[in-house]
Amino acid sequence: MSTIREIKVALAGNPNAGKSSLFNALTGAHQRVGNFPGVTIEKHEGYLDYRDCRITVVDLPGTYSLTPYSPEEIVTRRYIIDERPDVVVNVVEGTNLERNLLLTVQLMEMEVDLLVALNMMDEVEEKGISIDIDQLEKLFGSHIVPISARNRKGLDDLLDHIIRVSDGRIEIRKNKMTFSSELEKAIEKIAGLLGHERELDGSNHRWLAIKLLENDREIYSQIQKFPVWVKVELVLQEALSECGILHSTDPEALITEDRFAFVRGAMQECVRLPKAQRAALSDYIDMIVLNRVLGLPVFFLVVWAIFQLTFTLGSPIMDALDYAFGLLSDTVAPHLPEGLVRSIFVDGVISGVGSVVVFLPNIVLLFMGLSFLEASGYMARAAFVIDKAMHRFGLHGKSFIPMITGFGCSIPAIMATRTLKSRSDRLATIMTIPFMSCGAKLPVYVLLAGAFFPPAMAANVMFGIYLLGIAVGLWTAWMLKSTVLKSDSEPFVMELPPYRWPTFTSVIFQARMKAVMYLKKAGTLILGAVILIWVSSNFPRSSALEAELARETSRIEASTIAPELKAEQLQQLEARTEAGQLEYSLAGRSGKLLEPLIRPLGFDWRIGIALVTGLAAKEVVVSTLGTIFSIGQIADETSLSEILRHDPAFNQATALSLMVFVLLYIPCVAAVGVMKKEVGAWKPVLLYSGYVLLVAWVASFITYRIALLFG
Amino acid sequence: MKLSELKAGDRAEVTSVAAEPSIRRRLMDLGLVRGTELEVLRFAPLGDPIEISCKGLLLTMRLNEAEGVSVNKLAPAEGCQNGGQGLRKRHRLGRRA
Repeated sequence: MSTIREIKVALAGNPNAGKSSLFNALTGAHQRVGNFPGVTIEKHEGYLDYRDCRITVVDLPGTYSLTPYSPEEIVTRRYIIDERPDVVVNVVEGTNLERNLLLTVQLMEMEVDLLVALNMMDEVEEKGISIDIDQLEKLFGSHIVPISARNRKGLDDLLDHIIRVSDGRIEIRKNKMTFSSELEKAIEKIAGLLGHERELDGSNHRWLAIKLLENDREIYSQIQKFPVWVKVELVLQEALSECGILHSTDPEALITEDRFAFVRGAMQECVRLPKAQRAALSDYIDMIVLNRVLGLPVFFLVVWAIFQLTFTLGSPIMDALDYAFGLLSDTVAPHLPEGLVRSIFVDGVISGVGSVVVFLPNIVLLFMGLSFLEASGYMARAAFVIDKAMHRFGLHGKSFIPMITGFGCSIPAIMATRTLKSRSDRLATIMTIPFMSCGAKLPVYVLLAGAFFPPAMAANVMFGIYLLGIAVGLWTAWMLKSTVLKSDSEPFVMELPPYRWPTFTSVIFQARMKAVMYLKKAGTLILGAVILIWVSSNFPRSSALEAELARETSRIEASTIAPELKAEQLQQLEARTEAGQLEYSLAGRSGKLLEPLIRPLGFDWRIGIALVTGLAAKEVVVSTLGTIFSIGQIADETSLSEILRHDPAFNQATALSLMVFVLLYIPCVAAVGVMKKEVGAWKPVLLYSGYVLLVAWVASFITYRIALLFG
Repeated sequence: MKLSELKAGDRAEVTSVAAEPSIRRRLMDLGLVRGTELEVLRFAPLGDPIEISCKGLLLTMRLNEAEGVSVNKLAPAEGCQNGGQGLRKRHRLGRRA
C-alpha cells in the first residue's frame, strides 16, 4: 500500500446545521469523546480512511459567530487558529442560508482553507428552493459541495474535495469582503500598524484589525502588550467617532450589518425561494405545543413521558442486572476459599462493579429520550415554555428536565445538565439536583414513615419530605445564582429550530457516548469509593468476636436441644456477630465518633453508622439499620419497623429528623463521582458537600426540636 | 419603541440594538440588526419569553433582553413580502385556540 497521508479536518457551523450528522456519517465507528482543554465542552474526534488518506475529523461546537462571548465560540476560534486544521469544513444548512452564511463570512475573514458543505439538500429540493452554487462559489471564493448528511449523499464528493483542498489541487481564493469605506480605512490603518510589529509576523493582520474594531476582548488583551497599541488605540477611537457621525452606530454593529448586507446580496443573486410559502407543519405543531393554554400541559406530559421511559422502563432492566450480579456472586463464591478472599471478591469487587453498572439502563434510556427531544427541536421549546418559572430562581428553562430526572436518580440527571450551555447555569442546576429526592431514598422514608406514623399520615409525611427537598434545592439555586455564580449568565436569546424527525442512529449514538463516558470517567471513581466504603465497614475485624463465634457455634452444635431450636440459635448468633463486627469496623467507629455531633439531632451512634454506610447508596441506610438494630432480637418474628418502634433510641421526632437528614445530606458516592466529572474540579464539589452537611444538620435539628415540642 | 412592548401579531423593523455586550452580540448574530423586519408570534404560557419570527427563523428571548431592541412598529401585514401570508394565518388560528 502507498504511504498514508494524514489530513486534519475541522467541522464548523451553526447549531442545528447538521454537523453532528455529518460527523457520524463520516467517521462511523471510529470516534472518541474528550473535552476541549480548560472547558467542559465535549470534543468529538474521529477518523476515516479514504483513498490513501487518513482523515481525522473534529466536530467543533455549534456557533452562530466567532466572538469571544460564549465558550463554544472561543473554543472554535482557538482551535482553528492554534491547531491549524488542514481544511475547515463549514457545514451550512441549505434551508436557512442567510443566517448560516454569516458564520461563513467570518471564517472567510480568518483566511483558512475553507470548504462549504451545503447540507440538507434533500429538504432544499423538497421546499423548491433553488441555489446557484457556481455563483455562490464565486462570491465566497470557496468550493461549495451539496450534501445530505442524513441520507449520506454527497459524502464521497465532499471527501474528494477535502483531499484536493489539502494537497493544494483546489486553491481557495481567499476573497475579502469589503466593509463600509470608513471601516475599510480603519482596518487598513490598523493592519498596517500591526505589520510593523515583529512578533505578529505570520498572523492575519486584517483579521486582527476587524476583531479590534469589534471590541473583541481576547484580541484586545493580545495586542495591548505591544508598543504599537498606542497608535492602534487612536485609530480605533477615530473609527468609533466616525461611525457615530456617519452611520449613527458603532463599528461593532456596523461590521455585523455589513456582513449581513453582503450575505443578503449573495442571497438575492444566488437563491430563489418558492413564491408561495405555506405555513409549514412546524407552525401548526407550535400552535398547539406553545399555546398559552395547552403549552404547559403538553410540556408536563412530555416530561412525564421521559421520566416514565427512564425509570419505569429502566427499573426491570436494573433489577435484572442486580439479579445477574447476585447470580454471579453465587456462582463465583463456592470456588473461592471461605473467609476474607471470598468476601473481597464477592462483596467488594463484584458488588462494587454491580453498583456502577446498575445505573447504565437509566443513563442509556434517559439520553435516548433527551437526544430525541433535542434533535426533534422540542427541547428549545420546552425551555421557552417553562423558562419564566425557572428564571425566578436564577435557573434556565432547560434546567427543568434534569431537575425532574433527579427524582429518579441524580446520576443521569447530573449528566443531563450538558444540555445547558452556560457553565454557571449548569453548576447551579447540578447543585440543585441532589435535593430532588431520588428513588434510592424512598425505602428509607417508607421504613421510617411507615413505622412511626399511621398509614394516612405516612403519605403526607413523605410528600412533605419531597416538598422540603424541592424548596431547599430551589433556594440553593437562587442563592448560588445571586452570589458566586452571578457573573456570567448565558443570554436566553436562542433559535427555535424547525421540527425534524431524529434519525435512529443519532439517538443511539448519543446514548452510547454517554454510557461509555459514564463507565470510563465516573465508573472508576465510583468503584473505588464503593470498595472503600465496603472495606471500612468490614475492617478491622475483631478476632475476639470471631473466636467467640467459633466457640459458641461448637457449643450450640454440641448441645442436645431440638434441631429447629439449634438452627434458630445459630442464626441469632450469626446476626449478633455480624452486628458486632460492624460496630468494631472503621464505619462503626466513625459512627461512634460522630455521636456527639449528631446527638442534637436525636441520633445515636447506631444511626451514625447507617449514615456512613449510606454514602455508598442511600438504600443501604435501611439494610444497615436492619443489621445493627436487630441485635438480641428474635430475628424472624419481628419486622424492622417493629424493632425500631420498640427501640428506646427511636421515636417520631427521631424518625422525622432522620428522614430530613437522609433527604439533604451528601448524595451517594456515585452521584458525587459524576458531579466531580461534570464540574471538572474537586474544590466546588467538596465545598458543596460541606454545604449540604450543614444544611442537613440545621434542618434536622429544627425538625427534631419542633417535633419534640409537638410530640 | 421597544420590542418587549409589542403585542402578539405586531410587525416591526429594528432600529437599533443596545444591551449588555454578550446579549447584544447574540441578538445581532441571530439577525437582529438595523433594518431587519420581524413579527411577534407569541408569548410563552407564563408570559415571559417572547417568540418572534425574522428572516424566516423563529427566535425567542426573555423580555428583559427584548427591551434592548428598539423597533419601529410597521402597519399590519397587508400584502407584505415573503412568508407574510402564512404567518398571518398562523396568528388568527393561534388566537382562536
